[in-house]
Formats: sequence, C-alpha cells, structure tokens
Amino acid sequence: MKKKFSTLISVLLVLTMIITACSSGTDAPAEEETIKIGWIGSLTGDQAVWGTCESNTVKMLIEEVNESGGILGKKVEGIYYDTKGDAAEAVNATKRLASQDKVVAIIGPNASGQAIAIASVLEEYKVPDISTVATNPKVTVNDDGSVKEFNFRVCFIDPYQGAVAAGYAYDRLGFTKAAVLYDVASDYSQGFTEFFEKTFTEKGGTIVAKEAFKEGDVEFKPQLSRIKDADPEVILMPYYYKEVALSANQARELGIDAVLIGGDGWPSEQLMSMAADAIEGSYIVNHLDFNDPEVKPLQERYNAKYNLPMELNGYMAHDAFLLLKAAIEDAGVADPVKITESLTKVSVEGVTGTIKLSPEDHNPSGKEAAIVRVESADYIFQEKYGVQ
Amino acid sequence: MSYFLQQVINGLSLGSVYALMSVGYSLVYSIMNFSNFAHGGVIMIGAYIGYFCLTLFNVPFFIAFILSALGSGLLAVSMEKVVYRPLRKRNAPFLYFIISAMGASIFLENIVIASPIGPTFRSYPAVFSTQPIMLGEVALGRIDILMFLIAAMSLIGLMYIIEKTKIGLSIRATSYSIRGSTLMGVNVDKVIFIIFLLGGMLAGLAGMLFCMKYTVYPQIGNITTKSFIAAVFGGLGSLPGAIIGSVLLGLIETMTSGYLSSQYRDLIAFVLLIGVLVFKPTGLMGKTTEDKA
Repeated sequence: MKKKFSTLISVLLVLTMIITACSSGTDAPAEEETIKIGWIGSLTGDQAVWGTCESNTVKMLIEEVNESGGILGKKVEGIYYDTKGDAAEAVNATKRLASQDKVVAIIGPNASGQAIAIASVLEEYKVPDISTVATNPKVTVNDDGSVKEFNFRVCFIDPYQGAVAAGYAYDRLGFTKAAVLYDVASDYSQGFTEFFEKTFTEKGGTIVAKEAFKEGDVEFKPQLSRIKDADPEVILMPYYYKEVALSANQARELGIDAVLIGGDGWPSEQLMSMAADAIEGSYIVNHLDFNDPEVKPLQERYNAKYNLPMELNGYMAHDAFLLLKAAIEDAGVADPVKITESLTKVSVEGVTGTIKLSPEDHNPSGKEAAIVRVESADYIFQEKYGVQ
Repeated sequence: MSYFLQQVINGLSLGSVYALMSVGYSLVYSIMNFSNFAHGGVIMIGAYIGYFCLTLFNVPFFIAFILSALGSGLLAVSMEKVVYRPLRKRNAPFLYFIISAMGASIFLENIVIASPIGPTFRSYPAVFSTQPIMLGEVALGRIDILMFLIAAMSLIGLMYIIEKTKIGLSIRATSYSIRGSTLMGVNVDKVIFIIFLLGGMLAGLAGMLFCMKYTVYPQIGNITTKSFIAAVFGGLGSLPGAIIGSVLLGLIETMTSGYLSSQYRDLIAFVLLIGVLVFKPTGLMGKTTEDKA
C-alpha cells in the first residue's frame, strides 16, 4: 500500500514537472508580443465589492485599449489575483506576478495594510505598483520620510483633505475664523487637523479654538461650549460619522450656528438618519462625487458592460490604468524600471482630477477633491477643488 | 458668566445620567457588599428594549419607558437568580461575585453583538427637536431637561420607598446586617429580589435616556465605569452619596474640559477616585464599615 502511494506521488510529481515545463515553454515567446499588467485586490471577503469593481474596470479598459491598437503597438494582457483582503496573500500574489508572470507593473491593492506589506517584494523584483485607494501616508514613504521607490498611488493621502478643507473654507466660502474639534486618539483626525491649521493660517485665517476628544466619547458639550465662546464662522470636524452626528447635534443644541466642514469619514446613511437637520448646509471634502458630470461617461460605460453600480474604487483603478499607460508610452519600452522612472514624469487628466505624481513622496500633488454640500438630507456636488 | 452657567448646565445634565446609573451600584452594594459590574449590561439591554419598542412596535414614548424599565428590571432579577444566588447559598467569597458580575457583563455585551442586532450603532427616532430653549445666552437642551426631571423624579421615588415603606425598612435593616435581619424574620431573598428589581428598572430608564441623547450600541455599558467612580466618590452603599457624587463628578468633568482641556478630564476623574480612596475610604457619605471591598 505504502509503495503504491509513493509511486503515485512520483508519477504526479513527474507530471507536474512536465506540465510546468511545457507552460513556461509556451509562455516565453508570448512575452515578447504582449505587455503584461498585474492587478491585485480583494475578490472575496468583506471588501469584495470594491475589488470586483476595480478588476472589472481594469478588464474593460484593457479590452478598450487592445481594440484601439494596444500600447506601443503591443497587445495588453491583464493578470488578476485575489488577496482575500489579507496582507500575507497580497505579498504572495505580488511575488507570483513579479517572479512568474513577469508583469511590467501592478495596479492595486485598494487597502493600505496590503499596500504597505508588498513594498519589500516590489523592491526585490524592481516592479512598480500603483495603489488605488490606499490613503495611509506610510504606503509610499518609509518611517524616516524617504520615499519607497516602487510604491505609487493615485488617491490623495488622508491629511491632504485638511488642506483642501482649509483652502475651500478660506478662499471660496470667505471664512476667516475657524474652530477645530478633533479626535486625539486617531492618526486620521490628527493629520487632517494639522494640515487644516497649517493651510488656514498660511492663507491668513485664524484658528480661534482647537478642542479635542477621545474616540468613544459621546458628550461633546464642554468642548463645544468653549468653541461657542470663541465664536467661529466654520467648525472643522475631521472624524467619522458617529461622532460627527453626536457632536453636530450637540453643537446645534448649544445654539452654535457656524458652518460645519468634514472629510471622507462623513458620508453614510447613518449620519443622515441621526443628524440631517444639524448638518444642513455643511461641506464635505471627498475623493470624488458620483454626480460630478466628468465621471458620468465612465460610469455609463461600466454600467452598460457589467450592469453593476460603479464604486469609488473603479474610478481610481481607471486613473491608475491611465497613468500607467502614459508612463509605458513615455518610457517607450515595456520595462518595469523604465516605467518606474516615467511614472513621476507624466501627467494625466483622470476622472478623479489631474494626476501628476510627486517624485518626493509618490503622491498625486495638488490633486483636486470633490466638494459636496449637504442640502435637504442629500449630498449635492459643488465643484472640484485642490490646493498646491 | 454665561459661559460658566452653560458649563454648569452641561455638568448637571451629565451628572443626572451618572446618578441614575450609580444608585443601581449603591443599592446592590448596600446589601450584598460587592460591586455589580453587570449593571452596565442591564443598562444596555434596557436601551435596546426602548429602542425596539419605539422603532418596531411604534408604542407611545411613555409606554416605551415603562416597558424598558420593566424589561431590564426583570433581567436584573433573573441574573440575580441565575448568577448570584447560587454563590450566595454557598457563602462564596466576594471576589467570586465580582468575577461573575464581570462575566455576566461580557456575556450580555457579546450576546447582543452575536444576535441579529449586531455591533452597529443605532439612533433613537428623534423625539425632541435639537432646537434649544434659550435663557439669555445659556442654551438648555430639551432632552437634557427631560433627563434631569426623570432622574429627579425616579430618585425621589426610590428614596421614598427606602425611607417610608415597610419593604424599605427591611432593605435598610438588611443593609446593616444580613444575619441580624434574618434572625429578626426579614426575608433576605425577597429584599435582594426587590433591590435588583429597583436597580434594574432605574438602569432601564438610564439606558433609554442616555441612548436617546446619544446613540445605542453594545458597548454603552462601559459608561458605567464613570458612574461607578461616582458611587465610590459619594460613598458606596449610600444613595444620597451616589447622587451627590454623580452630580459632582459631572460638574468636575465639564469644568475640567471647559476651563483646562478635555485631555485632563479622565485623568482628573481617576485621580479623584484614588484620592477619595486614600483619604476618605468610605466616600463623602459612606457608611463606616471596614470589611467592604
């Protein structure tokens, strides 16, 4: 019995060797004719909605590009791997794309945790990666502030929203006195606040009050009373919808009528059901708005092909692909290292704004954000707005 | 001046919530000499009962209050029967009671998370508008006024039961000495049943009021850490002490946030707790007994 088993194993092993030998044999000439692009992201798990939308978008764009003659006269081939929302899986997928599939670049993943994890693999194989909505500052820079050579992204980082909010409040809305209520226990909220303060004071405004709370707090009236005493025209609330709902309601209960402004932590059904009245007339800084006329054509193409609603990730994947295409064309050759160099040279008009990656931190510099106003419990698109 | 008055109002409104919660601790402590940490779980369940009464069954607001109080009273009583009574019959050390109470609290929190209710936070339907009543420069929230009134009424009702009724007499007797009152013919099981019922009902009211003002989620029971501090501050086992301790804690917290910084708020609250335990271990109005843990 034991002998039979080991014979079976050895036969299987030989078969595997033959098959792999064959497939690598047929792959070799194909490499010359096509440009291979990898995509990684969650196709299963609780982020599957976003990952599916990204990979669908990339598939659609590759088909479109191939129909119109490919890139540099070559056909483009997409290879898609599921990371299951797991950083270790993302590392494996990246290794496989870089070492076996020999892709020239990778698009994705959508989450910061996975994007940070793959950095060492990218460096080992010298393949660039453009992540879609990984907004953590650490995705493209090391702890000491030096840039990660092969990590890029097309979304803006969390704190940048603060700069946009400050610029919009001062330049467009004409406010000069701002107050901030922020969460001391959150990196997101602190970075947001820091950039807001910096930009707002540089433009000539004053921060009349800055108050803190800790995640999990439900009572904000002591801090809000202080803010009320300082009499601001606008109050920045850079945190998530639960605290936004509570603090906005309490601000109105104290008779504060200042305009409220916040970031991508706001939009949610819950916020509207809890505090629609309190946040009426507030402004929200977001990556993109689905009602922006510039994003409509892509939305319609996607709907027609897949009959699914398009998520934020799809737009980001679209812009990542556009940027990559421009970089390959700029490099003139489908070589990962040359493409890496070109990624910070090219500038493209994406659906989420103009994308020009900065060589210092590999983030899109001066990218526009979508400004949304809350009117009668609905999110109304105002305009795209960016600061340098 | 109006800023100071505003902070006083904020402090009183916070203090009245703490008060409704801390009397539950004190009631149980006065008889059974242990801190019932499962109280937070009962508060949370009370809040959910009120929430579902209002949203699913559309019962009038006042009825929802009564149902929530009854439901959580019942829960507290059955927890006493299942968790504490067996320990009591075996004369288990107090540490066992405290550990069982913590276990019960974790159990309640997680059964809600695991149930279809889930961990998401929910908001009560808007019963009152957020439009404040203005007294000059000072804003009075409508829900704050309601909270203060209901807290005051139920606390006065409780004091009446304890001080003026026959069952109140047996509660007071039992709080001096369980053994002594048993010898005098007091039914201790019944007394304990009553204090868990009363404490549970107040917990339901507190939970519903608290969550109407803020929001409902499985971890709201954690707020009772603060009301526990208030109960210790005022003197565990003393009802007036719990109320005074709560109002003072509410005021101290708001004044710290209002005049210093909100980062110091919890720091000062806990330093206060340690200070009280060091210099006046029985709290402001606590009973002078030595063996209480």
